[in-house]
Amino acid sequence: MAGDYHVGVGLSLLMYVALTQSWTVLSGMTGYVSLGHVVFYGLGAYVAVLLWGEAPLAAIVPLAALAAFAFAALIGLPALRVRGPYFVILTFGLAELAKYVVIVVEGWLGKFSRVIFGAPDIETLYYIMFGLAAAATLMTFLVRRSRFGRGLLALRENEEAAETVGVPTVRFKLLAYALSALVPGAVGSVMVLRQTYFEPAQIFDPVVSFTIVTMAVVGGSEDMKGPLLGAAGFVLLSELLWANAPQLYMVLLGLLLIVFVLFAPQGLSGLLPARRKTP
Amino acid sequence: MDALLSGQLLVAALVTGALYALTALGLNLVYGTMRLLNVAHGDLVMIGAYVAFWAFTLLALSPLLGLVAAAALAALFGLALYHGLFRRLLAGGKAAQRLEANSLLLFFGVSVIVQNLMALQFTATPRGYQYLDTVYRWGNAAITGNRVAAFAVAVILCGGVLAFLRFHVTGLAIKALIQRRDAAAIVGVNVERVQQLALCLGFASAAVAGALVSMTEQISPFMGFPFTIAAFVVIILGGLGNITGGIAAGLLLGVLETYGVALTSSAYRSILVYGVFVLILLLRPQGLLGGRRIVR
Repeated sequence: MAGDYHVGVGLSLLMYVALTQSWTVLSGMTGYVSLGHVVFYGLGAYVAVLLWGEAPLAAIVPLAALAAFAFAALIGLPALRVRGPYFVILTFGLAELAKYVVIVVEGWLGKFSRVIFGAPDIETLYYIMFGLAAAATLMTFLVRRSRFGRGLLALRENEEAAETVGVPTVRFKLLAYALSALVPGAVGSVMVLRQTYFEPAQIFDPVVSFTIVTMAVVGGSEDMKGPLLGAAGFVLLSELLWANAPQLYMVLLGLLLIVFVLFAPQGLSGLLPARRKTP
Repeated sequence: MDALLSGQLLVAALVTGALYALTALGLNLVYGTMRLLNVAHGDLVMIGAYVAFWAFTLLALSPLLGLVAAAALAALFGLALYHGLFRRLLAGGKAAQRLEANSLLLFFGVSVIVQNLMALQFTATPRGYQYLDTVYRWGNAAITGNRVAAFAVAVILCGGVLAFLRFHVTGLAIKALIQRRDAAAIVGVNVERVQQLALCLGFASAAVAGALVSMTEQISPFMGFPFTIAAFVVIILGGLGNITGGIAAGLLLGVLETYGVALTSSAYRSILVYGVFVLILLLRPQGLLGGRRIVR
């Protein structure tokens, strides 16, 4: 395998592909924009830290995914009643609330940060992450082509109209929310094992949520290509700038977000010449 | 228990509440007139704080005068953003909900840019200065002079803006725009001008709040975020677009936060604020004080 540096970059690329693809299942398909997807990532990481040493890796990753899925299903029912921009700020508030709750819980347990001993080597984690990115991409592909996906698109355009023609909007929204949390939970468990320490304020970092949204807006969330383009572009940019000029990187992130929202709402993928669709 | 009944906490709660009320007032004006969700609002507080800081340390200008400069600068920034970003968006004629979501993403971009440019320029190190820090005592309550000044200015400005909205013809035009945008245009309100004015006024009041905050707390490029959240909690509590409700809700949040932290510990401050925020959005998004149903 190539040097550790390249494996590290590859890991972060695959992580953002997996996260952004998952995000589009909810936010691209239904129009319910989540600005708090880091909560599922953080929850997966927390599950992994608690279980590490108690359970094998092969059990931890799926359990982290399931925990995120269950959490999304639980909070989705009340949260998805709130629409539009209020949903956006609500998801953000929920993620921050979860962060501070975990900080306080860790304080009660007397742990302010945890170190993970005997973490798996980076190559194993790399292959797992590759699987997760592929799974997330496949999931968006399948959802988009399914009856379920058509229902989601219908409710994005007009929720009342979709309900009237028989789309079970509440159930579909909830399923989309839970599905979009599944892979991020697993990704969180892998990344915390890669970092070998757990500190809630750093794992539940709102910058992760913000990066996901920016990647999806800049790449485009109308098809599978968008998240791939967005993730690849920003991981490259971040490798060039993050180490030397993190603040400049954030400024560029903000600028690109503004430019794409104003001038190219379909993202990079929408700017590419479209292939003719066969009827 | 004695500590809870003392005047000390009440004074602290009122000062915090007045600053929240002033900050949220600006957010409410911008949202009410244009349906723009300004998630960069706290960064205007930060800019105001930096202007007052530099005016004090470089020019030895009292923050109470520096706040005028802060207000002017923020108003100019508002005008620049209006012409650069939002006029196009507002004229687009897209559905209102799309406008709100897009404005949120745009302001998020603005927020990230402003924070990081400030950090590049002035480093992320917190700064502070001493001004009017003699302690006054009334009964069992002790308070520093700068807090008294911050409270007084915030109350006067909130009152002034309320009076302006109630009695001045332009203020009435702003209120008309908040209530019925299309109808306001029909009865002859110059929508374009009134919008610009509301944006300038909203930005300026946040910057003034920032100048006041800088007298009592340390400032840093990333200090704005908690103010954005507090301002959103306040305007949702008070009912979106309801200016008077927002001022009452600002005081309420100040009381809730101060007494909540006193009853538990400061570790719970963020949980308390975000908890109220999430609960209000989930349970009563039209606000505690009634008003229109906007969300569902």
